[in-house]
Amino acid sequence: MDIIFSVIREDMFWRTLLFCHFLMAVALLAAVTLQAASVLTSARQAAGNFIDRFSPVPAASYATVIVLLYVPQALLGAWIYLKYRLYVRIPMEQLRHWWTLGAFEFKEHIIAMGIGLLPAYWYLWRDPVSDEDAGLRRWLTVFLAVTVWYAFGAGHVANDFRGIGS
Amino acid sequence: MTQASEVDERLSQLDSSDVMSAPRSTTQTRTFAFTFGIAFTLLYTVYERLNWPLFTWQPAVGKMYFWLHRPLSGEGPPMYWYGWIALAIPSALVVGWLATIIPSRWLYRATIFCCALGALWPASLAALRIYIADWATFDADFLNSAWVAAIPAFAATIAITNFVSSRLAERVWTSWLLIVPIGGLVVLGNSLLIYFVR
Repeated sequence: MDIIFSVIREDMFWRTLLFCHFLMAVALLAAVTLQAASVLTSARQAAGNFIDRFSPVPAASYATVIVLLYVPQALLGAWIYLKYRLYVRIPMEQLRHWWTLGAFEFKEHIIAMGIGLLPAYWYLWRDPVSDEDAGLRRWLTVFLAVTVWYAFGAGHVANDFRGIGS
Repeated sequence: MTQASEVDERLSQLDSSDVMSAPRSTTQTRTFAFTFGIAFTLLYTVYERLNWPLFTWQPAVGKMYFWLHRPLSGEGPPMYWYGWIALAIPSALVVGWLATIIPSRWLYRATIFCCALGALWPASLAALRIYIADWATFDADFLNSAWVAAIPAFAATIAITNFVSSRLAERVWTSWLLIVPIGGLVVLGNSLLIYFVR
């Protein structure tokens, strides 16, 4: 770390990491949202007319992207979490921002659950996609989307407390 | 000519063995991936609630301690989250691997047993604590123990595991993949209520 800090100021380094975390979060959010929307609307589309049946998102193609974004995003978050614990959470406690703190604590758990479900998620979306687990695949995709949305929201609130631009 | 026919025969045997082994490996991957998901989410919840981290990280001083470490004066706040995940991953990997080598019917039963125990043990402890606080007419503090709570929890879990038919156990097995993480989040979220009611 000393080598890095001899090149770049420490606060700038952590802000850069946080910004990368944000960019990856936006990409992941887009991917999971499109996929979740696709699986939730697929049943209706199958019964609709030609335009209803048109699906702009090939849901299966997003699965690899989501796994490849989710894991490094979680690792990057885990790295930034070191800084959060000392320089964000302690002032949060001192200023009694309990809701923000509790919401961020829950983010840790929801992301951990998401990591644990990734192998099953990857399996369910691998080619060829089986009809046997269609319901499970749909709800697991929605669950992962919820984890990403929640993490994004809680992270954004914590950033507003002490982060980029706060 | 004889050699050619032998080669053809071996090739056809190889082809047929591939056809036979492909579904088996797919089934094993499925079993491993699903069991890993169920085991990880269950064990993560258990480790967090019992506070069993594989290691404790002290970010202020940059020190790592094996297992649970209460911070010494001047060491700053401890971080356990990495340790819970670091313990849950290898534990779930072992469970996932075991799942691929045991018969399916045992796996379905074992999943029901573990999930039911995971829910009933803390529920039993909570019920005992409520009983001690609100109902007991004698000094019942000796009941306030995880090991005492284990007795009714194990008994009820064994009863449930035996009561559930093999067919139902097989049918609901994949559902645990959603039930366990959602249940785990309810438990973990409940433990965070202290932040939201201050």
